[in-house]
Amino acid sequence: MKFDSKINKGPLDLRTVIGFFHTHLLYRDHAALTDVSFTVANGEFVCLTGPSGAGKSSILRLITMDLLPTEGQVIVRGMVSTNMNRRRIPLLRREIGYVFQDFRLLEDRDVYQNVQFAQVVVGISSKQMKNNVMRLLTQVGLWDKRHRLPHQLSGGEQQRVAIARAMVNSPKILLADEPTGNLDPVVAQEIIDLLFRINTGGTCVVFSTHDHEIVKNFGQRVIVIENGRITSDEEHKTAASTAHRLADRMYRPSAPQPAAVRVQEGSERA
Amino acid sequence: MPSKTQIGYLLRESFAGFARRKLTTGVTILIMGSALLILALFTIVTLNLGSLLETARGGIDLRVFLHEELGAQREAELQPRLVVIPGVQSVAYISKDMALRELQAQLGDEVDIMTAVDTNPLPPSYQVTLSPDARTAAAVERIEQEILLWPEVQEVVYAQRWVEVLERWNSVFRLASLIVSLVVFAAAVFVISNTVKLTMASQARLIEIMKLVGATNWFIRTPYLCEGMLQGLLAGVIAMGILAGTYSLLRSQMDGLVFFTPWQMVGFVLLCISLGLVGSWAAIRKYLRT
Ligand SMILES: Nc1ncnc2c1ncn2[C@@H]1O[C@H](COP(=O)(O)OP(=O)(O)O)[C@@H](O)[C@H]1O
Ligand SMILES: [Mg+2]
Repeated sequence: MKFDSKINKGPLDLRTVIGFFHTHLLYRDHAALTDVSFTVANGEFVCLTGPSGAGKSSILRLITMDLLPTEGQVIVRGMVSTNMNRRRIPLLRREIGYVFQDFRLLEDRDVYQNVQFAQVVVGISSKQMKNNVMRLLTQVGLWDKRHRLPHQLSGGEQQRVAIARAMVNSPKILLADEPTGNLDPVVAQEIIDLLFRINTGGTCVVFSTHDHEIVKNFGQRVIVIENGRITSDEEHKTAASTAHRLADRMYRPSAPQPAAVRVQEGSERA
Repeated sequence: MPSKTQIGYLLRESFAGFARRKLTTGVTILIMGSALLILALFTIVTLNLGSLLETARGGIDLRVFLHEELGAQREAELQPRLVVIPGVQSVAYISKDMALRELQAQLGDEVDIMTAVDTNPLPPSYQVTLSPDARTAAAVERIEQEILLWPEVQEVVYAQRWVEVLERWNSVFRLASLIVSLVVFAAAVFVISNTVKLTMASQARLIEIMKLVGATNWFIRTPYLCEGMLQGLLAGVIAMGILAGTYSLLRSQMDGLVFFTPWQMVGFVLLCISLGLVGSWAAIRKYLRT
């Protein structure tokens, strides 16, 4: 791995999958990010929070190298923003799943085809493809609804399809940009639980939200970003190690675990 | 190497634009086909003028008639002087007797020229054959002027004065074809790039998702490039079909009409396909910077 030693000081931890080193990002002359530095280790679950317009989406887009930093450096799975071959960007993106607030499903294709599409694009053989799509749709609890079009699903279901699509190529990193923004609290919690399950399977998850309620009970690392700067980056030491259950109780005092997320832990990355 | 599923997908997507926008695609192909038809027509006219000109130039040789009574000596001296004139390929001496026999052969057996005239009225002459590059109106006129200055020469004759006229038309049509080609190329590229842009705009989400999940640029491009080439192919085949149909109707009535050879037809269609490729490439460029 080669990188600019003037920017990236100190040894790079081998477990680091995402590294920001004094990253600045300008949109024309508007500074979206100022001197952002942090690293994310393999398998970590990171919550990125802060008000709207703080720069959360910008950080996620830098991770997929959809944007490149104006100054500083971003390193993702060994790919260095300041020294890379642009033609390798698609290969990096195959190792990153991406989920949006507005789902972004292909409206004219059914659930199955939406998930399958991500596999066609990268050229998986059709037999493997079938298995993968089936496994993912079963995990998100939508195998039975595989022939529905996106508009025939609820918001939470659409987001689960989007997550299945993001995970079908077995990425090492899952980026979720306000995935709960369009969902009511109960469904939002189901989605967050699903992200936790995915993380338990070994995938590094970066989850962004501007909803502080969600963050409050996280027993996970929370990076707060305000006005383009990181103002806090700490491990939340909540008593319960399974923070999602706490949150679950908060929203639905007596509801059982939803079927959709009752998945075998660790089976996502078979 | 693309996998089987990728190839299947690419093929399906290449035709999907057609299926979803039948009217736009149909209009595009019609406009492009008409433009290409005009282009092909101009080419045909130019080809035919060229062929006429070629035939005319074949008969452009000079006949240099000499004054009578020069004597064999002076007549023979002219031969080397004619041969060294630039553009002259070969020279043949035709004596008075040979000229008379030539005339007799032309008149046939009906008339016996030998008995009709008591003295041979035909002057001796040189038949001057020009080299291929001198078979133009300008070159032949230059040679004529030079020879006419010689006192031994009575007259210089060459039959095809209309070579000059043909030449003028030929160059006019060549220029017109060139201009028409440029206009047609630009128009074809423009219409095709417009339809492909429409297709891409309607699939902005699809393209976004493809990039997001790590499709390579060639994978994203290929269906659109194929769509453009397919439109070019259809437009070219339609234009060539109409032209070939018309030709086969006219062929029996117009002798010596020159048409495209099969290879030229293939070339024309290939040209149309590449116009489609250029058009779709122009449309794609702005979409795929990263
Ligand atoms: N494409 C863009 N062009 C110009 N400014 C942008 C663009 N995207 C985001 N911004 C600006 O950059 C800042 C950070 O945006 P963003 O990363 O989307 O924040 P967040 O996701 O936290 O809401 C905001 O002030 C926003 O207006
Ligand atoms: Mg955002």
